[in-house]
Amino acid sequence: MSIETRVVGKSLPRLDAAGKVTGTAVYAADFALPGMLHGKILRSREPHARLVRIDAGRALALPGVRAVITATDVLDVRYGGGLKDETVFARDRVRYVGQPVAAVAATTREAAEAALAAIDVVYEPLPAVLDLEAALAPGAPLIHEAWQTYTAIPILHREGNVCQRARIVVGDMERGFAEADRVFEHEFRTAMVHQGYTEPRAAVAAWDSAGQVTVWSNTQLPFEIQNTLAEILALPPSKIRVIVPGIGGGFGGKLRVGVEHFAALLARRTGRPVKVVTTSEEELTAAYPRQGTRVELKTGVTRDGRITAKEGRIWFDTGAFAGSGPGVASVATLVLAGPYRIPNLLLEGYAVYTNKTNCGSFRAPSGPQSNFAVESQMDMIADALGLDPLDFRLKNIVREGDEGPTGQVLEAVGLEECLRRAADAIGWRDRRPAPGRGKGLACGWWTTTGGSSGVYVKINPDGSVAMNTGAAEIGTAALTGAAQVLAEELGVDLADISVVSADTFATPFDFGAQGSRTAFAVGNACRAAVADLRRQLFGLAAAQLGVDAEALTLRDKAVVADGKRIALAELARLSQASGGGLIAHGTFIAPPTPYDAKRVEAHVYPAFHSPSFHAHAVDLSVDRETGEVTVHRYVVAQDVGFAMNPRYIEGQIEGGVAQGLGQALSEEIVYENGRVLNPNLTDYKMPTSLDLPRVESILVEHPSLVGPYGAKGVGEPPNIEPPAAVANAVAAATGVRITTLPITAEKIALALRGEGPA
Amino acid sequence: MSRLALSLRINGVTHDVLTEPHRTLLDVLRDDLGLTGTKENCLEAECGVCTILLDGRAVNSCILLAAQCQGREIVTIEGLARAGVFVPLQQAFVDHGAVQCGYCIPGMILAAQAYLDECPEPTDDGIREALAGNLCRCTGYQKITDAVTAAARGLARARTTQ
Repeated sequence: MSIETRVVGKSLPRLDAAGKVTGTAVYAADFALPGMLHGKILRSREPHARLVRIDAGRALALPGVRAVITATDVLDVRYGGGLKDETVFARDRVRYVGQPVAAVAATTREAAEAALAAIDVVYEPLPAVLDLEAALAPGAPLIHEAWQTYTAIPILHREGNVCQRARIVVGDMERGFAEADRVFEHEFRTAMVHQGYTEPRAAVAAWDSAGQVTVWSNTQLPFEIQNTLAEILALPPSKIRVIVPGIGGGFGGKLRVGVEHFAALLARRTGRPVKVVTTSEEELTAAYPRQGTRVELKTGVTRDGRITAKEGRIWFDTGAFAGSGPGVASVATLVLAGPYRIPNLLLEGYAVYTNKTNCGSFRAPSGPQSNFAVESQMDMIADALGLDPLDFRLKNIVREGDEGPTGQVLEAVGLEECLRRAADAIGWRDRRPAPGRGKGLACGWWTTTGGSSGVYVKINPDGSVAMNTGAAEIGTAALTGAAQVLAEELGVDLADISVVSADTFATPFDFGAQGSRTAFAVGNACRAAVADLRRQLFGLAAAQLGVDAEALTLRDKAVVADGKRIALAELARLSQASGGGLIAHGTFIAPPTPYDAKRVEAHVYPAFHSPSFHAHAVDLSVDRETGEVTVHRYVVAQDVGFAMNPRYIEGQIEGGVAQGLGQALSEEIVYENGRVLNPNLTDYKMPTSLDLPRVESILVEHPSLVGPYGAKGVGEPPNIEPPAAVANAVAAATGVRITTLPITAEKIALALRGEGPA
Repeated sequence: MSRLALSLRINGVTHDVLTEPHRTLLDVLRDDLGLTGTKENCLEAECGVCTILLDGRAVNSCILLAAQCQGREIVTIEGLARAGVFVPLQQAFVDHGAVQCGYCIPGMILAAQAYLDECPEPTDDGIREALAGNLCRCTGYQKITDAVTAAARGLARARTTQ
């Protein structure tokens, strides 16, 4: 990049670092109020059953117990994102092990737990639908018999246990396959996995005498929680204030209402503040994990390695309620296309109900599952054709000006550079350096999610600047990035900026900390605010300095022109004395990305905004006895558009790869007969410091036309490619192709012995 | 339920606490004394966010009864910085971008502190082993390991110039 910058683009420390290393930063789980009660949730023990009777008599008689509420105590409201199928409590039927049946408030957590144990529930088990095959079988029991009566956005295509089917159709499939010399068909499967944030979901709710409720929560989307609570409580949103004190990780798992509604309902019933915090067991049985999937791909290729057609289907096991399923199934189709030029496409994404926990969004929702299939198959095809996997990809990748699968015109395409640099860094031409050792590549593309952002920017009378945003800081340092943009544009230092965030009453609207959008959208809103402040400042300064406003610029915390200068602090004081102070409302929404509507059906996410491109390369060894994988080196080349803060972007890449390697090698929520077998952090195996390699980050910069200084979204992409890169390296190292996630040592060892399914 | 009168020495200050015998040090720190820098998650000693120093050793306060801590020296994250001045590990975590969401960081810094006190010239592998009981889901541990290495180097330099 040739832009000279002072603040943005520099690896400056994050604004909230001091509180986080001294223990003074307050997270939702730390929040407490005087007289606060503790809430706990009683959850279904049956995957599918009629709820015959709930008797809370014994529980209510226990010491310290202040309330027990069930479905009969709440309004019969169904809520949800694009499809409103969820209820606060099971009413006459439970649909998964973990579904809320009752909630308790008591003076201590121990008393609340004792009360849960004293509630008598009678279930009458019904046949359960335990996997995708059972849900899709002809005559399968319906998870929601009344699915047609549910409110849904009209675009969704639903049928029985399928709560969404999105489709992309391009070209002529028959001709495309006829043009191919070889047609390859493969099937892949991926496991359900959890976001693994270290802070459990937590909320404290308190009502005031005006009938207004305030909820302190670690949600990523305070404005969505405000609206969802309004539906559940049948109150106008103006009666609901949601404040995010701090978030200990989210990764998409804290998008939807989790414990906030229980806290609000129990607080209303008891007249006392109530805190609800999930346990690890609740997280692993009743949160919003990433869906397990089955993927089928059929790809036609010419002898020299040109892809002529691809037919792909992915089925998401979305659990007993739709959750994020309909959106995820739609996004998946764009990932299934891959970052490749393919003239003929038929791609379908299905979200399917089963009697499991309600699945949600996890960093790049649909990305790792779809990319694992696509990029595994690319290597399988290359091997079958005798082509080098890198050359095969380079022959088919999208380049500047190409069309995406739905007809969007691709700009700022850094994919070839990413692939070449990742391959060079890993030493690609020596793919099998030793027996049992191999290298793998995978590449992909991803979106920078849209949605609007507003900021209020205020200049204080001491010249410091307050950035007031509705976005929450989930840990990525996205708000530090946005503040760097603000400081750059306003001619101040990063240290001059303070951040006020995520309070639905006090901060402007923001679409939320999701979809790799926060630094991008809030940064652009800050630029809009500075444009307004410039007019205000220059108007005041022109009169004071006796110069034309046209001649003024912002520099070194002052307005300057022709050797004259007046400090921002002085202008702020002047404005306070005469005009109510210096404040601006900056807003941003990503412009729509044009696409060809004829190519999509029932699709809620038909184009990728300001897409990013990336390539991962891994060098690993496999122990031929045990199947254990040791990762030696891991390289990521990611087109970030413009690196707003290189160190924290590296942090996103290192952390995204860590989560991706967990999904690749060890993580799985294991269900048996509708029950989770490993609902604790010993048996749900997230990588520790001993399990991870160093990650080498290569930041490629093909500037986006929309993002601040050319930035693209960076948070989600590093999570996408690790499973495929690992699968390809394991195949290179051993000759064994594992087509299901996670790629455990056990699977590899069995496959090496020619036993067991891959 | 009967209560125990405990005298707990925390960050150099003695706190008199009246508590039930089954309550953990974590409960007392967070709920009775307002020391919420020590974090809470799994409550089964699997994640390490509740790590504190007990007589200089890093332990999980979620499975430690408060009653076991009588007469012992407890250090929490709030006890490291003095008058707003970071200890070298805190500064290194800030400088190296080792902090993202930050929820694991108090426990991580204390686990690292205990390790550096024992092993002033650490290796990368040694650091990773010392921190293996502290889960971090944001960073991939790389910048954390780098921060601990840098803090150890800084401390070593400070020792040689003394």
